[in-house]
This record gives sequence, structure tokens and C-alpha cells, in this order.
Amino acid sequence: MRGFLAGFGLELRIVRAAPDALMPLLTAPLFALVFLAIVRQSGRADLEADALLAPVLMTLWWVALQHAGHLITGDRWQALLEPVIATPTSLATILLGRIAALMGLGLLSFGEVLIVGKLVFGVGVPFEHPVEMALTLLATAFATAGTAIAFAAVFVMTRNAYTFTNSLSFPLYLLGGVFVPVAFLPGWIQPVSSGVFMSWSADLLRATVKRDGIGDFWSRLAMIVALGAASFLLGRLILFHVLARMRAKGELATV
Amino acid sequence: MPDAVEVEDVTRVFEPRKKKDERVVALDEVSLTIPEGEIHGLLGPNGAGKTTLVKILSTVLLPTSGRARVCGHDVVEETKAVRPLIGIVFGGERGLYWRLTGRQNLEYWGALYRLPPAAVRERTRTLLERVGLADRADQRVEQYSRGMKQRLHLARGLIGDAKVLFLDEPTTGMDPIAGREFRTLIGELKGEGRTILLATHDMVEAETVCDRVTLIDRGKIIATESPRSLGHVISRFQRVDVEGAPEPVLGRIAALEGVSAVTRTEDGGARIEVSEEGATAEVLRRLVDAGVTSVRTSLPSLEEVYVQLIGERGLEV
Ligand SMILES: Nc1ncnc2c1ncn2[C@@H]1O[C@H](COP(=O)(O)OP(=O)(O)O)[C@@H](O)[C@H]1O
Ligand SMILES: [Mg+2]
Repeated sequence: MRGFLAGFGLELRIVRAAPDALMPLLTAPLFALVFLAIVRQSGRADLEADALLAPVLMTLWWVALQHAGHLITGDRWQALLEPVIATPTSLATILLGRIAALMGLGLLSFGEVLIVGKLVFGVGVPFEHPVEMALTLLATAFATAGTAIAFAAVFVMTRNAYTFTNSLSFPLYLLGGVFVPVAFLPGWIQPVSSGVFMSWSADLLRATVKRDGIGDFWSRLAMIVALGAASFLLGRLILFHVLARMRAKGELATV
Repeated sequence: MPDAVEVEDVTRVFEPRKKKDERVVALDEVSLTIPEGEIHGLLGPNGAGKTTLVKILSTVLLPTSGRARVCGHDVVEETKAVRPLIGIVFGGERGLYWRLTGRQNLEYWGALYRLPPAAVRERTRTLLERVGLADRADQRVEQYSRGMKQRLHLARGLIGDAKVLFLDEPTTGMDPIAGREFRTLIGELKGEGRTILLATHDMVEAETVCDRVTLIDRGKIIATESPRSLGHVISRFQRVDVEGAPEPVLGRIAALEGVSAVTRTEDGGARIEVSEEGATAEVLRRLVDAGVTSVRTSLPSLEEVYVQLIGERGLEV
């Protein structure tokens, strides 16, 4: 727990000192405006709430991919990885704390889109199922954190991870159905998307702002949590092997 | 009670990463024992394998073969037992969060050593004072000079209250005064019963603070002795100072096998350096035969031994 809190506090302090991690908090309101303008133009007032929710999911994804995913690589380049590993606290625990802090910051985008929607377009998010909505957001942040650990472990072995994540974030938004429901994607891609927790998150989140009852809420939530837990375990496994390999090969530090 | 550090036949080979690179044997069957409370110098030129040994002992690198233990715990198998006991200080400026303040850096590392928050704050405060950074504690590390970063590194190594400290070139970039303070600090740490392995290429540093020094070059240990007696171990490196020796005699001596150098001194004398066992006797015989009686033999200082054994390479940084 202490290691988790140390990581959590560290990340908050880093972000406060160098707020570039907060970039997506600048872009989230802009995306909200773009999406709102699109649905307005096509006369789909029923999609206005969806247009506000999409940037929240995008922000979480972006933070996981562009920031959390590069945490280990960053430590390695700053010659911090070896000293961290030589302490009694496990890297996974610290990482989890750092990622949790980032997810918490990412969730602030929810507040932003609420404000922007109201101020600019006079559109609000209808809180039809507030408890379910909060649970869905939390489950999504958890699953995103799990995925981020896997990213971080894979990226530290990958030379061009930044190029990769830069080009990959948009296709992933699409695949995750953050704005356009996966049901509208070509048929062959749908099975892939259903393995991506984000597509479940996006569908469920959209359901929480509709007047109709949410079908199968608990099992859909469980699916998000289960997919998240799976990424989490996979992430820890990859991390374990990557660190063991680097320790054997002498790659924990860059020369 | 087990020794603080035991290294048995440790070899570390780095396989080439690219085809054109060569395989590097960074450590070649190195064995070394450091009893508790000793300050042990690991002295050798760049590329000798010092950092590699420090990394293996601090559990962040695996040996290719051989075993190493810290306070009786294997550094490969028992990392959980080893890590709370050790503190490491790697040289250089990296290894800190530059955008955070010195205090924030230390508090983070303190938490990783599982100290309760109040203890972390207290230790941080004391350590900042101890390394002379108290009045700059709340500035970002990026504004620190090189020497200040080094001192913060040192504080970081101490925050876990380690029994065994591994210091890898901890004074590179420090000014001479800070260097002197560093030596005082080492003395205090010894007084607290800690064991220290100090890797350095600085002979003066090794000579002034270490109880024993291990000379290492190209992955092989050349000798382990107290700084003073290193000269004895390597007694073949004797030197003979003479006064009033005729030039032709010196010329013939210079040509002898086992004489590595004859240099004239400013006052008209000469220094004959010997690098082979038995050669000293022959040098002395020739001098006495030539009627030279002002002769003095002595053992070289650690620095001279180092240069003799390792060559001028050792002085390059
Ligand atoms: N991670 C690594 N990968 C490949 N070669 C390495 C690595 N670390 C050290 N070496 C090589 O091992 C040798 C010993 O290096 P090092 O232990 O850093 O020496 P020192 O600290 O005494 O200067 C050098 O030839 C160095 O290039
Ligand atoms: Mg070194």
C-alpha cells in the first residue's frame, strides 16, 4: 500500500511540476465541441449526450497509451529504473499507484465536458442512471489502468513506441467504439472490438444517459471488469518477464 | 555472522547486441570478501568492470556464473532479503526526477523503503542537512549544480538506512571541498557500523578513505590489500633513488632486463624503477660496484603501483 501511495503521490507531483500529462484535458473539451457540432449538423439531438461522453473515454485511452504506457521507458532513460528496482518495493505496485493518479486526472475530463457542453451549446448530460454511470466510469478507469501496465511493459522493449502510440490512438478509438458504436463498423471487425473492454464501456456508458432501462447492466459491467482484470494480469505477467529479461541482459539502464 | 559482501568466482559476459559488436567479458571470475564495517575501495580504470560488479551486488544485473551474497543472502535468488539491506549511489547526474525538488525526490525514495510517512519526512530533513542541501531542498533538481545532484544522490542512497552501501563513483563532478566533506561523511558512516563498497578510479580517494582496496582491471582482480600495503604486495615494483651516479653506469642499468625506467631528477640524482622481481638486487650490485653509495630503495605509492599495473590508461577519465 505504501508503494502504491508513493507512486500515486509521485505522479501527482510530477504532473504538477510539468503539466504536459494534462494535454488531453485541453483537447477533451475541443473534441466535445467537434462532436457536438457534428451531431447538431446532422440533426441528431438524441446523440448529443454521446458526443459529450466520447471525449472522456478518449482522454482515459490517451493517458494510458501516451503517458502511462511510457512510464517505465521514461524511468529507464533517466537512469531511475535500476535504483527503483533495487528498493524493497515492487515496480508493479509503484506503477499501479502512478497510473491510478493518471486515471484520476483523466476522469477530470468528465467535469470539463459537462461545463463545455452547457456553456457553449447549452447541452447537458442527462443523468438517467447516475449510479450505473459512476460504476461504469470507475470500471473503465480500472480496465484502462490494467491495459496501461501491459502497454508500459511492452513499450519499454520497443524502440519506436512513441511513433506506434501516436499512430495507434485514433484507430483504437474507432475500434473501441468510443463515439461510433461498434455495431456500425464492418462486420469482420466486430469480433475484435468485443474483446476490447473499451467497446463495452462505451456502449454501457451511452446506455446510462438514455431514458430506457439498461439491459443486462451487471453482466455488462462484469465484462468490463473481467476484461480489465485480464489485461491487468497479462500486464503483470509481461512486466515480470520483461524485467527478468532486462536484468539478465543488462538492459535496465541505458548506457 | 556472515560477511557483508561475498563474491565467489563471478563472471559477467555481455553478449553483442549488434552483429558487429564484440562479446565483452566485464568480470572474469572475480572473488572478493568484505567483512562487516569495512570501507572497501574498488579501484580501476574506466571499463574495468566496477559498475558491473556494483550492479550485480545491488540485484539489478545477473552474473553469467558464480555467486554473490550480501549479509549472507544470495543476490540472485533472495532479492527480497537483500534489497532492504542495501543502498546504492550511482554516479552521474541522472537518476533523479529533475522536475521535482530535492526534498520531493528523497520523500519518494524514502517511501519505497517502506518507512512510515512521518519517518520519511524526518529522515529527509536530517539527510538534506547532512549532505548540505537543507537551504536548497525546495528547489527543483534541474536547478542544482552537478555537485549538488551528486550530494542528493548520496542522500538518496542513505535514506533506506542501509547496512551495506554501494557507491559507484560518487564524487565525480564534486568540487574539492565537497570531496573533502564526502570523506568526512564516509568516516561517519563507518562509525555507524555500515559497510561500504566504493567504486572509483580516483586513487587519492581510495587511498584516503578505504580500509582495503581491490585493484581491478579488464574484469580481473589484480590485488586486494590495505592501501599502504598494496605497495608491498607488488614489491617487484621497487624504486631506487641514487645520487651522483655516473651517466654511463645509469645507461647500462637502464638497459638491464627488469628495469622499466631511469629518470634524472632536478638535483642531479636519478630514479630507477624496477618492474621485475630480483632486478633490484642486480641494480644495487652495479651501483655499489661503480662506487655509488648514496642509494635509497623505496616502495611506490598506490598511485604509482596503479600506473605500473594498469598503465597510463588508468589516468584517463
Ligand atoms: N549493459 C551492458 N551491455 C554491454 N556491455 C556492457 C554493459 N555494461 C557494461 N558493459 C561493458 O562491460 C565493461 C565493463 O564496464 P563497467 O562495469 O561499466 O566498467 P567501469 O564501471 O569499471 O568503468 C565495459 O567494456 C563495458 O563496455
Ligand atoms: Mg563505472
